[in-house]
Amino acid sequence: MLKYLLKRFARSLLTLFLILTIVFILVRQMPIEGYFPNFEKMTQEQIDNGLHQMGLDQPMIVQLGQFYWNLLHGDLGVSRVYNRGKPVWDILKTKIPISVQLGSLSILFSMLVGLPMGVIMAKRKGKLADHLGTGFIVLIQAVPAAVYYLFIQLYGTELLGLKLRFEPENWVSWLLPILSLSLGNIAYYAMWLRRYMVDESTKDYIMLARIKGASDGRIMYHHIFRNAFVPMAQYLPTSFLNTVVGSIYIESLWSIKGMGGLLVDVVHKQDNNMILGIVLLFACVGILGLMLGDLLMVLFDPRISIVKKAGED
Amino acid sequence: MKKLLAMLLCFAMVSALVPAMADGGTYTVFYGSEVSTLNYLVTSTTWDQSMAANIVDCLVEYNNLGQIIPSLAESWEVSEDGLVWTFHLRQGVKWYDCFGEEKAEVTANDFVAAMKYILTPEYESAVASQVYSAKIVNAEAYYNGEVTDFAEVGVKAVDDYTLVYTLSAPVPYFLSATTYVTFLPAYGPLLEELGADFGLDNQSLYYCGAYILETFEPQSEHLLVKNQNYWDAEHVYIEAIHRLYNAESATLAPVAALRGEVDSADIDNDILDDWLTNHPELVTKGRADLQYSYFYCFDFVPQYEEEYDPANWVKAVNNKNFRLSIMAAFDRVYSLTAEDAENPESLLANVITPPAFASVGDTDYVNLPAFDAAKAKYYSGDNTAAIAYKEAAIAELTEAGATFPVKVVLTYKSSDANWANQVQLVKSQLEGVLGTDYIDVVLYAGPSDNFLSSTRRAGKYSIMRCNWGADYADPETWTDPFAAGNSYNFMDKMLDSEYAETVADLNTYYAMVEAAKAEVSDMDARYQLFAKAEAFLIENAFVIPYRTETADYMVTKIDAFEGEYASFGVCNLKYKFQHLQDDFITAEENAASFAAWQEALNN
Amino acid sequence: MSLWKHAKLDKLEKDAGDALREALSEEQLFSVAPFHEEDVEITGSSDYSYWRSTLRAFRHNRVAMALLILLAAILLFTFIQPLLPGQFDPTAIANGPNGLPLKNQPADGVHWLGTNAIGQDLWARVWAGTRNSLIIGISVALLEAFVGILMGVLWGYVRQLDFLFTELYNIIDNVPTTIVLILVSFLMRPGMGTIIFAMSITGWIGMARFVRNQVLIIRDRDYNIASRTLGTSTWRIILRNLLPYLVSVIMLRMALSIPGAIGSEVFITYIGLGLPIEICSLGNLINEGRKLMMSPSLRYQLIYPTIILSIVTVSFYIIGNAFSDAADPRNHV
Repeated sequence: MLKYLLKRFARSLLTLFLILTIVFILVRQMPIEGYFPNFEKMTQEQIDNGLHQMGLDQPMIVQLGQFYWNLLHGDLGVSRVYNRGKPVWDILKTKIPISVQLGSLSILFSMLVGLPMGVIMAKRKGKLADHLGTGFIVLIQAVPAAVYYLFIQLYGTELLGLKLRFEPENWVSWLLPILSLSLGNIAYYAMWLRRYMVDESTKDYIMLARIKGASDGRIMYHHIFRNAFVPMAQYLPTSFLNTVVGSIYIESLWSIKGMGGLLVDVVHKQDNNMILGIVLLFACVGILGLMLGDLLMVLFDPRISIVKKAGED
Repeated sequence: MKKLLAMLLCFAMVSALVPAMADGGTYTVFYGSEVSTLNYLVTSTTWDQSMAANIVDCLVEYNNLGQIIPSLAESWEVSEDGLVWTFHLRQGVKWYDCFGEEKAEVTANDFVAAMKYILTPEYESAVASQVYSAKIVNAEAYYNGEVTDFAEVGVKAVDDYTLVYTLSAPVPYFLSATTYVTFLPAYGPLLEELGADFGLDNQSLYYCGAYILETFEPQSEHLLVKNQNYWDAEHVYIEAIHRLYNAESATLAPVAALRGEVDSADIDNDILDDWLTNHPELVTKGRADLQYSYFYCFDFVPQYEEEYDPANWVKAVNNKNFRLSIMAAFDRVYSLTAEDAENPESLLANVITPPAFASVGDTDYVNLPAFDAAKAKYYSGDNTAAIAYKEAAIAELTEAGATFPVKVVLTYKSSDANWANQVQLVKSQLEGVLGTDYIDVVLYAGPSDNFLSSTRRAGKYSIMRCNWGADYADPETWTDPFAAGNSYNFMDKMLDSEYAETVADLNTYYAMVEAAKAEVSDMDARYQLFAKAEAFLIENAFVIPYRTETADYMVTKIDAFEGEYASFGVCNLKYKFQHLQDDFITAEENAASFAAWQEALNN
Repeated sequence: MSLWKHAKLDKLEKDAGDALREALSEEQLFSVAPFHEEDVEITGSSDYSYWRSTLRAFRHNRVAMALLILLAAILLFTFIQPLLPGQFDPTAIANGPNGLPLKNQPADGVHWLGTNAIGQDLWARVWAGTRNSLIIGISVALLEAFVGILMGVLWGYVRQLDFLFTELYNIIDNVPTTIVLILVSFLMRPGMGTIIFAMSITGWIGMARFVRNQVLIIRDRDYNIASRTLGTSTWRIILRNLLPYLVSVIMLRMALSIPGAIGSEVFITYIGLGLPIEICSLGNLINEGRKLMMSPSLRYQLIYPTIILSIVTVSFYIIGNAFSDAADPRNHV
């Protein structure tokens, strides 16, 4: 297992290298107009000078080399457009905590609500509880997030007497963004858990367990839930990371100073150093999530092996 | 430790200020996108400059009637030949840091240092070329490294209070040019110390304007607090300006205004109808910013896909009757409803140069008789003229081998809702008048990023709404989009083409422009000549003037007509001279103050 | 509480017992049966057909059937609607008596759902938008499913490819979609083809990973190991042993990816990279309408497209679930 992990880690470094290189090359395919808000009125000398200052006039391989050299020294460069002159890491480190807090709370809330909901729905398949749950899931799936987020914000704040902007020091102000952020996940967890549990419940081993005389509760939690949770488990880390990374809608609507929408923003603004910094961050957590997911799957289901078995081709 | 103490002091001051502000002194607004930098010497965007305008003063400024009044310069004079401008600075104006502590006196050296900073390529100032266009001696040469000693550049501090600019040619509009960021001062020793880090945050620059940026948290808030020691403090009425970031402010700010969370919000065109129905008393109209002009260009060198038949378009666009048929059929007011549904006529421009930009004697430039012939060629409510031009064009173009309907590629930015609505109206209206057997208008969506590079500059349009902003306060600036080598309509590329009519017209036009540029002593004659050239361009339908910058509809507690009024520079962005009312200004009050302002303007 | 008991199974057991009792006497039941060589060759065969049973099971779900019919009707209607009398072109602009566009006109006899900000008929736009959005959604779902399943099965089953695919996944998953979208929007002009391409170019990997995970779970189950031991070819194992097992989950995912694609079109429009506005889509309509949520007299422009979007989404969701239940062979008994 340790050997596997080490190998996996080495490969992650390779992946990271590939991702950064690809993104590095991609962003340099963007037209140069995007680098200069005043492009219309600039002389050719000014444009050339600007490109020179950014090092964009050098061969790609030199730029790439420079980038990795700086990266190895822990230097992500400074932002050019988003917050001109400020080091990328300084910008990111103020934004990460707030998104992590919000995301963690939301995931916790989603799991606390979504998983029991899925279990109850599976247990009461075809009964009222199942229909109610399905109704909720359907509603969340049906109405576009862009619409119901705004709806929750506009009417929720009116109802609770809150301001339209998020106020971190007021705990009531946390409720609505967390609720908005969680609804999608709750529906997702409940829906898939129900699906997997229903699938699982028709399997032979369940029948065997039942014939053996195991109690319904035992069958439910020790057999069905555990097996149904396997495919869910792999998704959890990614879903956690996605949520933590923030939602562009929520953070835009509530003026939350997190990571949500940051990437979209800097890509639009062609702030290359910021793009690479964020991609590096996301890629690291993304890869970590994938590894974690695979590990969780192995933990929950001993039949799954990712390690190559001896004797197999 | 000292810094900590200063911070504590700062907090103490803020908390001391809060109750004082509560009596209606704080003006709170949402803003939808963050300033990219506080370094006012490098940025060219209006939003970034709106900060600079309030924290640093210019040599001169404007009153609300557009007249130049002294600011940091108490007096000034220009030499006989118009080449040397001498400014005598106000004494005792001080630089303060963001904690309100006095740092130094504002001297002539600070203007020299700031200009040197702008002209240093390393700092990548986006406004360096604006220094050249003010014709400062050796500015461009210094930037390009041809001159290495800054002493040779035409800006000198004779003593602490005497500042001299030397120009390479007379610049009649020089005084107004000094209200742009290129002529703002910055404390020299600080620039020296911080270099590229100048203006990184609110602590890395000094303030000499009406406000001090006490809090600057990007993507969160700006708190501008009145500089109590400001030299003209008696004319600064709003105690503090609190700007709160919200990326969705276009949607949320109107709601926030109704709930009393903000003191001002723009009412976009899409919700205007609703507001006029449900809150008619609160909808006011701001003052139009006249620094931009919008016009429809005809592309003479189309580069779009073969499926839209660019070769056929080249034939059509070089036919004067064809261009005139479009101009005569184009009901501009109709499509302007996409930008101002209530009062589209108010946006209409018949001349490229915006109103109130220049005047000859008492006559506004746009009303000069030179434009009368051009104005007669616009759509006038009936289609006869358009049909006549159309028939003439069909006859001539059929002979020239063009095919009908002519595909007209109408380009717009897909992410700009108003613009997208507008082109749909244009298509519907033009095809309605001229018939789909004559023209086939193709809507061509451009990307939201790098829009101009992939549309106008790349020649990917037949007709397209283009815009231009003044670089200086002289009509010459409005000839730039049509000059040789332009990236607008590429008409200069036709000069050596087979289309005799176009070639002749272009030669006439460029000769007229040269004649106007050569006239530098008699301003009235100069303006008349520019008007003649511009009118010629419009009469022959090389360009169709469209609209001025829009005046925003809003719900607000400050009266827009009290603010500084200028056709060029950053003074429009100042909060100075404006009062904050206790309640929202009603539509009636707004109309009254607009009328009063108009009245004062005309006297 | 016989929660996990199968009613049908109980009945089958009971029926079989009764049938045996009826056919054979007590004596016959408990005497040694003789050996008939020809009887050995008789194998159990039934007229069981997977798809017929699936369809039969699906037809039993009334709600799903009703929604399927509704969805088919909506899809059909989006094509029929322009041919009906009294319809407007979705891009045609109606003029008011003053000669200016008839903007923000509430519903009346002429404009059944009213008009939008520039006097275009909302009824026509909603249907044109539904048509375009469905086309986008279905195209994206099919493309994703086809490429995704193919790649996913290979990824999960062929161990040698795991390295390659995992790398590919990590890269596609981590290269920001916005960069890809912006580059695509710069290289290709905004339009239907572009948006379908842009969504599918990165979307298939999600489906592939999903299938791969499912395959990983069942790849090493005993019956597959048995198959391999017996020398069954990889392709046959994939097609016969793995895919049928996955049909139900894949179906659900596909049914969800259609509204998903419609939803991401809303998102892409939100970040400014959507379809040009003269091509109606539900994304465009909702994004325009969003700004009007707090404007009581204009809110209808948000509500109508949202209702259609909701109906379409709900239908796909419920049909997908019902079909995936029906497609599960274990539910066929």
